[in-house]
Amino acid sequence: MEFSRDPEGELQVDIPGYEAHLLRELIDEMRVVLAAEDRKDPVTARLFPPAYDDSRDDEAFRELIGADLKSSKVNALAKMSEKLGKRGPVHDVLVQEEADAWLRALTDLRLAIGTRLDVTEETMDVEIDPKHPDAPALSMLHWLGWMQESLLNALTGGR
Amino acid sequence: MSPTIAPSEVREETTDEAAQDDRPWLVIVWNDPINLMSYVTFVLQKLFGYSHDKATKLMLDVHHKGRAVVASGSREKSELDCFRLHGYGLWATVSKSD
Repeated sequence: MEFSRDPEGELQVDIPGYEAHLLRELIDEMRVVLAAEDRKDPVTARLFPPAYDDSRDDEAFRELIGADLKSSKVNALAKMSEKLGKRGPVHDVLVQEEADAWLRALTDLRLAIGTRLDVTEETMDVEIDPKHPDAPALSMLHWLGWMQESLLNALTGGR
Repeated sequence: MSPTIAPSEVREETTDEAAQDDRPWLVIVWNDPINLMSYVTFVLQKLFGYSHDKATKLMLDVHHKGRAVVASGSREKSELDCFRLHGYGLWATVSKSD
């Protein structure tokens, strides 16, 4: 998978078929989590974190922005999903708004996996033990990180 | 003797808060082990128009000290900033400055 600037300065996205397939599956899982809105679920709690210590202040804040925050996350996923299409690899161009949606969607996917695994700075740093039951999910978390890093580099020119 | 029914503490707090009402609201970003450092820097530049250097410094504060004040101002503005940060998946809170 790679993000790059083509000679015309357009942001190019290239994702092989098996990686695109994996992204589509993760997006489907994420949609279920967002639709459930289960605030006792640690993933939902991380995606919609409290803004205030005080629970009454936080409740008021949540009433004000909760629906908008949810729809912005749903829309970012939808934009990514649209570009991925139904099957096959992806060779396409992202406009600014789409690149922004991809950044946010990739972040939410990473937050969801990382929270599910309850990762710490230490577990993020060490090499993955292939025998560990969390190894596949942890690999996905890093893979999404590389993808995001590649997108950021293409957006900022490495700065 | 302390008052049994009168909410003396609550009253004191209210007076205290009213007297210092000019304290600005702060938007704080907290460290999390998942978001990439380069991403946090990018978001701070994008949302607040900070230079790469300033955004990097704030990101490093978040990373090393566990938190950093990334913006301040009225309550309304701070809540909007917090909402935008949550939209980018950063762990942000709003509180009154000490």
